[in-house]
Amino acid sequence: MQSGRYLGLGLFAVALCALLAVPYFVTSSFAIDILIRILLFAFIGVAWNLMGGYAKQLSLGHAAYFGLGAYTSTLLQVDHGISPWIGMIAGGVVAMIASLPIGWLCFRLRGPYFTIATIATAQVLMLIFLKFRDFAWGAEGTTIPNLGNAPWMMQFEEKSAYFYVILGLLVIALGVTYWLERSWVGYYLMAIGEDEDAAEAIGVDAPRMKRYIYATSAFLTALAGTFYTQYIYFIDPATAFSFNISIEAALVSIVGGIGTLWGPVIGTVLLETTSALLQSWLGSSTGGIQLTVYSLILMAVILWRPTGIMGFVNELREGRSGKKTGGS
Amino acid sequence: MVTTLVQAVINGLLIGGIYALVSIGVTLIFGVVKIVNFAQGEFVMIGMYITYFLSNQFGIDPLFSLLVSMPVLFVTGMLIQHFLIRRVLGENDMPQIFLTFALSLLLMNVTLLLFTANYRTVHTWYSDESIFFAGLSIPVAKLIAFTVAMCLSGILWLFLHRTDLGKAMRAASQNREVAMLMGINPNWVFAVALGIALALAGAAGSLLMPFYPAYPMAGQVFVLMAFVAVVLGTLGNVVGAFVASLMMGVAESLGIQFVGADSGLIVVFMLLLLTLAFRPSGLGARRS
Repeated sequence: MQSGRYLGLGLFAVALCALLAVPYFVTSSFAIDILIRILLFAFIGVAWNLMGGYAKQLSLGHAAYFGLGAYTSTLLQVDHGISPWIGMIAGGVVAMIASLPIGWLCFRLRGPYFTIATIATAQVLMLIFLKFRDFAWGAEGTTIPNLGNAPWMMQFEEKSAYFYVILGLLVIALGVTYWLERSWVGYYLMAIGEDEDAAEAIGVDAPRMKRYIYATSAFLTALAGTFYTQYIYFIDPATAFSFNISIEAALVSIVGGIGTLWGPVIGTVLLETTSALLQSWLGSSTGGIQLTVYSLILMAVILWRPTGIMGFVNELREGRSGKKTGGS
Repeated sequence: MVTTLVQAVINGLLIGGIYALVSIGVTLIFGVVKIVNFAQGEFVMIGMYITYFLSNQFGIDPLFSLLVSMPVLFVTGMLIQHFLIRRVLGENDMPQIFLTFALSLLLMNVTLLLFTANYRTVHTWYSDESIFFAGLSIPVAKLIAFTVAMCLSGILWLFLHRTDLGKAMRAASQNREVAMLMGINPNWVFAVALGIALALAGAAGSLLMPFYPAYPMAGQVFVLMAFVAVVLGTLGNVVGAFVASLMMGVAESLGIQFVGADSGLIVVFMLLLLTLAFRPSGLGARRS
């Protein structure tokens, strides 16, 4: 186990160095855009996976936090001139606070009905931002004032800078997951994920643990919201609270391997690469093709490999070493 | 003012009948098979497209296309149970939730690819007719849809209470293990439950067609309503879902009338969240 861990860290260090060097080799704006998308959705997936993967609370409403993060930082920036770097943290805090009442409501239901309740909360938030115009621009949304190259306002002329920002966020989220997998918090969450009643019977305070992990997951997701808004210089309720964000967060984790450190990253690489290839082959005019392919991949994974790609990889590894190793 | 109120309530009840068909299906599947069918709305949408093509190609009235859409979706339901859902039944929630969710995404997007996002409408002689009565106007198409929906719900109730298969289904939803010990074949019962639920969704689609356009996302509104109604009416309770659906229709209609045309959904979601906050096990339920 110990040697495997160092091997893992070594591989991680090598991969990170390779990624850091990527912008020096990849100069095509299209390619770097795809890489940023991959890192962004991997980050959201990792955030979703903290709660969805380990505690098995399958949310399809993470767009709520993405949107809250995006709107908090944008409101602070546009109305008060506050840097999105601060707004990002503020957005995370807002999302964390919002996750408490939302969690209080949704955790009353288990299984599929928890999932439905989370969808409803994200939709309600979107409808609120659409409806109340004087509050935040309503349905038209707003563009972010372009200040040229202003690093302290999270605006860069070079796309590679955005690449490093989102890479940094992803590393932080992976760090949180790595720590979680090895701490008592992670064990408690996995116990809840396996069997909530049994976990409570042995003294796990399940409601409190779920609250904590939901808040953490919401915080991280909100950071992605700020980043995305700064990256595309635009915000409106339909993008910020898009159901597709909730879907993709869950999808990349499930396809890659739910409840594993690398699952969401691998899932995103697979899905986003597929999507980018489809787009370059078929053009962007064919609406529906991307989600058709995603849903086919998702169905195939669920029917044949419910543990995702990571599960498959682990099976191969275990098969070769001939013994069962725990962890991931 | 009173007339406006009564009119809004009537409008709500009429559309609530359609919601009832969808939510009875959802709650039946939940009760018997113990899964939530996220794709239920897409079967309404498929029912609509079947009706549209029958009307467009052969000039068949939407009411008669019930005779096609219901059997087609009944068989589809049995096949889906046999080839897809049967394989993911177990302790774990994840495959169950995301299998039907993926199915929903797939059906929507394949429809989008095949038929584009354009609205398809069927115009019948009764589409624009209304009955005027004491200052109220009652659209004929919606009245017909409501009446047929009530009949179908009644037939389902009789089926569940009077036939052996229906009783087996209720037994399976109350206690699956004991039902199996009593010699009930779960695979058969589950397949029939899926079949009935989808047939009801198909019926809803056909009944909607004279006054509602078909498009790939058309099912989404109905499935959301159904989810709320199913929670309100206590999970797995067919009568509860039926009553709650009518209430949802009225609540939505009152919201549109008195808050604003685009606020129907807000009212519905608020209802869901309020239910969760105060009566998480449904309106008519004992706490469990």
